[in-house]
Amino acid sequence: MRIEEYAEMIYACGRCEFCRGFDFNERCPEIFTQNWESSTARGRMLIARALLEGKLEYTEDLAERIFGCFLCARCKEECKKAAQIDIIEITKAMRADFVDHGVKIPEAGNEMAFLATEKGNIFGDSPAFHAKWAEGLEFKRGSGILFYPGCLASHRFKEKTKILVQLLQAAGYDLDFLGDEQTCCGTPLWITGNMAEAKTMVSAQLKKMQDRSVKEVITPCPSCFRAFDEEYPRILGIEKLPIKVRHTSEVLEEIVEKKKIKLKHKVKKRVTYHDPCEIGRYRGIYEPPRKVLEAIPGLEFVEMSRKEAESFCCGGGGGVKLMYPDYSQAVSRERLNDVLATGSEIVSTICPACEMNLTHATYEADAAIRVLDVAELVAVSAGLVDEEILDPYYIPED
Amino acid sequence: MVDVGKITRLLVEIVGPDRVSDKHFDLIPYGRDLSPAKEKLPTHVVMPKSREEIQEILKIANKHDMPIYIRGGGTSHWDAFLAQEPGIMLDLSFLNAIVEINQRDLTATVQPNCTWAKLDFELRKQGLTYLCSEAGGPAMTIGGSVMKGGGGPHGTAKFGFHGNQDIITLEMILPNGETVETGSAAWPSAGKFKRQCLGPDLAGLFIGAEGILGICTELTLRIRPATDFKERLLATMDRLDKVMEFGHFISRHVGDEYLQGAYLWVDPSAPDVFLLMMDVFGYEREIIEHRKARVIEKVKELGGVFGDSEPANGYFDGILTGLTDIFTTGVWHFFGSGSLRIDDIGIIYKIWREEVIEKRGYTKAGFGGNFLPRDWLAFMVTNYKEPEESEMIMKLADEINELVLSGPVVPYGIGGREGLRSIVEARNTGYYRLLKVIKKAVDPKNILQRGIFIPKEELP
Repeated sequence: MRIEEYAEMIYACGRCEFCRGFDFNERCPEIFTQNWESSTARGRMLIARALLEGKLEYTEDLAERIFGCFLCARCKEECKKAAQIDIIEITKAMRADFVDHGVKIPEAGNEMAFLATEKGNIFGDSPAFHAKWAEGLEFKRGSGILFYPGCLASHRFKEKTKILVQLLQAAGYDLDFLGDEQTCCGTPLWITGNMAEAKTMVSAQLKKMQDRSVKEVITPCPSCFRAFDEEYPRILGIEKLPIKVRHTSEVLEEIVEKKKIKLKHKVKKRVTYHDPCEIGRYRGIYEPPRKVLEAIPGLEFVEMSRKEAESFCCGGGGGVKLMYPDYSQAVSRERLNDVLATGSEIVSTICPACEMNLTHATYEADAAIRVLDVAELVAVSAGLVDEEILDPYYIPED
Repeated sequence: MVDVGKITRLLVEIVGPDRVSDKHFDLIPYGRDLSPAKEKLPTHVVMPKSREEIQEILKIANKHDMPIYIRGGGTSHWDAFLAQEPGIMLDLSFLNAIVEINQRDLTATVQPNCTWAKLDFELRKQGLTYLCSEAGGPAMTIGGSVMKGGGGPHGTAKFGFHGNQDIITLEMILPNGETVETGSAAWPSAGKFKRQCLGPDLAGLFIGAEGILGICTELTLRIRPATDFKERLLATMDRLDKVMEFGHFISRHVGDEYLQGAYLWVDPSAPDVFLLMMDVFGYEREIIEHRKARVIEKVKELGGVFGDSEPANGYFDGILTGLTDIFTTGVWHFFGSGSLRIDDIGIIYKIWREEVIEKRGYTKAGFGGNFLPRDWLAFMVTNYKEPEESEMIMKLADEINELVLSGPVVPYGIGGREGLRSIVEARNTGYYRLLKVIKKAVDPKNILQRGIFIPKEELP
């Protein structure tokens, strides 16, 4: 079993319940949606212990507790002051154990992994359709700076992604783009435990980039960012990827700090910011997007009550959006309550998955809130795009 | 033999299929507490949402001779809620509402699984607090604390254990399903404002009984204005008798008013260094400064040396949110703990030093204590590695518990067969015999917490 590698951590759990928090909706989205003690990180450590001791086996009905975790790392954050258990890696190892043991996992998880490996993207699009968002844009093949949007940004947010590229190019970045050759980063494999094809996929992806003389990857997707920067080296058994990887939050910060673009138009909106788990808690990127927002003239920035390391998940993490959509929607609804409490007109974030889930929450609640990428706000201020996109009832072309 | 499927079906009829489980993986997380006690699995877990559902569950338990174990936040030690026999784990997580915060009467009414952190968060919005004493972290529930008569490092120096008059009224469901209320709430046309007013104080019957006499479904607590000031001190002393003198100074000369928290810690690596962390109490800056000055004066007079107060800030501020680094070197276990007179602290310290460190050569357990009004709650605590050290720790704890409780120490937290139950049973005091009589009277089938506090065999 893959969890054997983590046995020491699993036994280190002191069952303190810091991971559970003081109410169902306070920190952990899994206890919020499933309610069982077995949904908590502490419960999962006892389940893992029983698996290690041969007192329990992986079974199909256990999958909901393990695959219903949003991998948001709120528990891991809390455990930093307790036993410092890497609950995320243990959960991923448990998911991989399910697959290794041939135990049925949620079909939508397998489907996502299958599409990622067989079709090159999680939506099963043809390569041409998947790159359709880039129509009309010009890229510089071999520039060394690869813009890598990832599946969600390519498929679901064509307009947003186009605006982002226009902004980056206006700021002087010579971007390359893989076009029809772009394939999924591989995240669907490790979040669903389908690790058999992971090394092959990762090796091919890296080779493709190296053949194209890529020196740096810029991506708006925190999952792709972490895939290249963390998972690839781990899977390939190397210390560091030979390619620099940056998330757009850091690139936007650079644009603002170095004044690579002039923010000339006021954005007279009350705006809050949702911290994506994978750049926030996972990587400690809290300040860059805030600095960017605060640099936009006229913008009134307000924080939500739960922010940064204590931010509540949007519901889009861990593959739960596909595997347990009702749980995902419930969590996004809860997060929207935090947004509404600020009185904001716009909730900004910097992750396609968060943008999608929060958008779905606003649709469900019929809330007059617009969900925007930080880059879109910068683009409006820079005059690259019309301010009509700020309107809560604006419908993007895609 | 329990017919698991049948009981599941009956429970589903009461609460629906989403709040009952007999799945092994759902039961496993209820099999351990914060101690090294062996895993004890219930047969079912059920999560009621109302007193009516609890009453119906009790009917099934009585009819089918199924013990019920009551679970709060799951942060107990001493085998205190684990299923000693195959039975139903009653997880009260959904009964977690703040029913009322009454600013005029200075009371808060809550359901049992409202956490201290949740209540404090809401109280402080209104400039109020309860000042929970226990250091169990964010998931620690009010019902769980009160039903075990808990106490800890914060607030106890001024206000004492939970149950020391700050618990005003209780709503309890007896094992036969009847609901009873205590204090002023027992008088239907009155309200929830006073503990001792109608006959004997029956709240005291339930507080500390670890759930063997009833299931708490609502509590009313005495709350107070929160202070705007934080003034923490940290000092070391070189002799325990000086710490005792300081305890007397706080209790006698200044009348419990100066400190709302006072915590003693002695690290096994430096058994002659007595570290004191103190939280000065007061509502006005001038008063705080005066009290602080007098505390400093007394500590210095006793030869104490003051240090950076930041660790004391971290300690007292982390009580509800979770203390930092407590599990980094292993899982925790408390032992050799209980209440004792200020002047007797030396006896328990001597056992720690001579029996634990010198005789047994165990150098990982520290010694600590919380000042209470006029007495101490003292303990030994260690980090250890599971599973390899679990049995050794339990054996050590058993031996030390026996020694400590043979002295002037009253046990804190009894629990099940791996708690202090056997020690209490062996003393067979009049108190214990009366408790058994009461238990038999209110719970003739021994449904609630069977095997907790009183062995099953003692209640035929």
